[in-house]
Amino acid sequence: MRYIGAFILAVILLSGCSKSSETNYAATGKVQLLFSHQAGQQPLLPDTLLYLTATRHQYKVADLQYFVSDFTLYHNGGKPVRILSGQGIHYVDMRVAGTLAWSPADGIAAATYDSVSFTFGINTANNISNRFPNPPERDMAWPGILGGGYHYMKMNLEYTGPLDPGIKPFMFHLGIGQLYSTATPNPDSITGYVQNYFRVTVPARFAVVAGKVCSIGCVMQVDRWFDGPETFDFDDYPGGIMQNQDGMHKACLNGQHAFVITVGKQGNP
Amino acid sequence: MNQALRVKRIPRQGSLAGLLLFLFLPALLLFSLSCKKNHPVTAAYQPTPYKIVIPRFFPEVLNVPSDNPMTVEGVALGRYLFYDGRMSGRTGPDSLMSCSTCHLQTHAFECGMGESRFYDGHPYGLTGIFTPHFMMPMINLVWTDKGYLWNGKVSAGNANPAMKNLEDVTWMAIVAPHEMAGDTARVAALFQTLPGYPGLFKKAFGTDHVTVKNMGRAIAQFVRTLISADSKFDRYLKGSYQLNNSERSGYVLFMTEQGGDCFHCHGGDGNPLFTTNLFYNNGKDSVFTDPADRFSITGIAGDIGAYKAPTLRNLVFRPPYMHDGRFSTLDEVLNFYNSQLVWSPSISPLMHHVGTHGVHLTPLQVSDLKSFLLALTDSSFVANPGFSRPAVFPDGTK
Repeated sequence: MRYIGAFILAVILLSGCSKSSETNYAATGKVQLLFSHQAGQQPLLPDTLLYLTATRHQYKVADLQYFVSDFTLYHNGGKPVRILSGQGIHYVDMRVAGTLAWSPADGIAAATYDSVSFTFGINTANNISNRFPNPPERDMAWPGILGGGYHYMKMNLEYTGPLDPGIKPFMFHLGIGQLYSTATPNPDSITGYVQNYFRVTVPARFAVVAGKVCSIGCVMQVDRWFDGPETFDFDDYPGGIMQNQDGMHKACLNGQHAFVITVGKQGNP
Repeated sequence: MNQALRVKRIPRQGSLAGLLLFLFLPALLLFSLSCKKNHPVTAAYQPTPYKIVIPRFFPEVLNVPSDNPMTVEGVALGRYLFYDGRMSGRTGPDSLMSCSTCHLQTHAFECGMGESRFYDGHPYGLTGIFTPHFMMPMINLVWTDKGYLWNGKVSAGNANPAMKNLEDVTWMAIVAPHEMAGDTARVAALFQTLPGYPGLFKKAFGTDHVTVKNMGRAIAQFVRTLISADSKFDRYLKGSYQLNNSERSGYVLFMTEQGGDCFHCHGGDGNPLFTTNLFYNNGKDSVFTDPADRFSITGIAGDIGAYKAPTLRNLVFRPPYMHDGRFSTLDEVLNFYNSQLVWSPSISPLMHHVGTHGVHLTPLQVSDLKSFLLALTDSSFVANPGFSRPAVFPDGTK
């Protein structure tokens, strides 16, 4: 009787270990993405004429709204983990606190990760007109005649020039670009469109622990949009760049270097 | 012997139970009968849900508060109240005033120009005091999410719990010296006496006790049904109408940064409300003296001289234009944006043509842009009998 009992007990124990080893392999945690904005490596102060570009234009930021999407976490030797919640698209408005934190429901494999990459804007397949009928995303609509879908970013600025003290508005807006057959951007002369969204990849070492939430900071360094590697001069594009592919292309080249990833503490869900 | 003892104990316990039952049963019976007498079972209050049909491409999220769901009965009552001049709390013919006194369907629920009462489009109340601002239309308000009125004063963000949503505009209109200059208690008491109305309140809200709060709820429900979505442009988006050359050229100008760039504030093909419902200083002045602009609500310096961007639907019915009615015609509005913009420190960054005082379209382009704006006209809205004055009111008056 005792040997049978021991045998039964042993079977139970062994099967529990197997289960627990299967559980560990599939263990997941979560991530929380926290969005913030800096200029000169300090927190961005909206509506403050404080910042200076390489072309010696002083500027202030009135509005900043943008989309990020297709967040992917990489770890050496492991399968990339792509965030799929919300169709993988997140809207940020620097003035709306609720958009500055994104807690996707995705379970992220517990592991040590070494880089993060994401799309700034929305990729071709997903950047479809009328997919967001409700505000605030709805107000990012990009005109159909100019390519459709949504603005990747609206940064509304005001600036002064070194030779002209007057303050001028500037709409630093990014989205699908147009190719024109004429020198002036006449929409009837559009010959093609350019998908200006781009991938941002940033090395960042962090661990996702099973059952825990790992905070990842996504910091936009606003000044980098104007100062590197391309020098962006507001006066080259009077008023804005929605219909100037050269301006948007330059902005996007800079935008790839405008983000820093920081890693916070592990928290409980 | 034990058995005998057990037999002797049971009768004493049984006697005690029986005694208790004898004493308390009548009380229990009386209690249950009295309960039935004071709370008779009545038919449950079951209003009929009113389903708003969302037009194609319109937002799916509606501003309908959970404590005032849309019902057929509520909308019907609201329509009566909207048009009943006794909302002023008075019955003398010279003292009647309702929402419809100023909000005329033929003018997309503004007062318009050329009407005998408000010939220049500036409404005034029963005491002759003019309203601080000219009117905003009642078009598609069920999608307004950033506050009502030119400065967004009535909004979820207002600390005053009586100024949160459309439901609160009714009591404000009743008491405002520049509107009905009335008394809410008097209004409620008056309608309590009008045959037919208490019954309608009961159907709509489950009680025949008339309150201004429920008046506000009913009127808000009615106003939320005022949906305009059948213009030429709406039919174009649905594929059942082709814009003519002028309308199409105007549409392109409307939607492009190098054209008129109207869409950033006034929506467009991605936003058929034709307003973002946000607030902008659009370059009308360099000095601002209005104590009721957006700055008066937010205290943010960038909101000085800012007002809500109204919808551009049904403009042809709605002169004059702007918060102060300074433009009597659409041509004046277009000329303003073309060459009369004025810079101020709080001008919206979206007015990026302010450096040259405007967008400087050619006369032909201005004409095309106007053609497009007129393609946002929905004639069915101003003629819809469901929005019109009832032929007969609940008490039989006409």
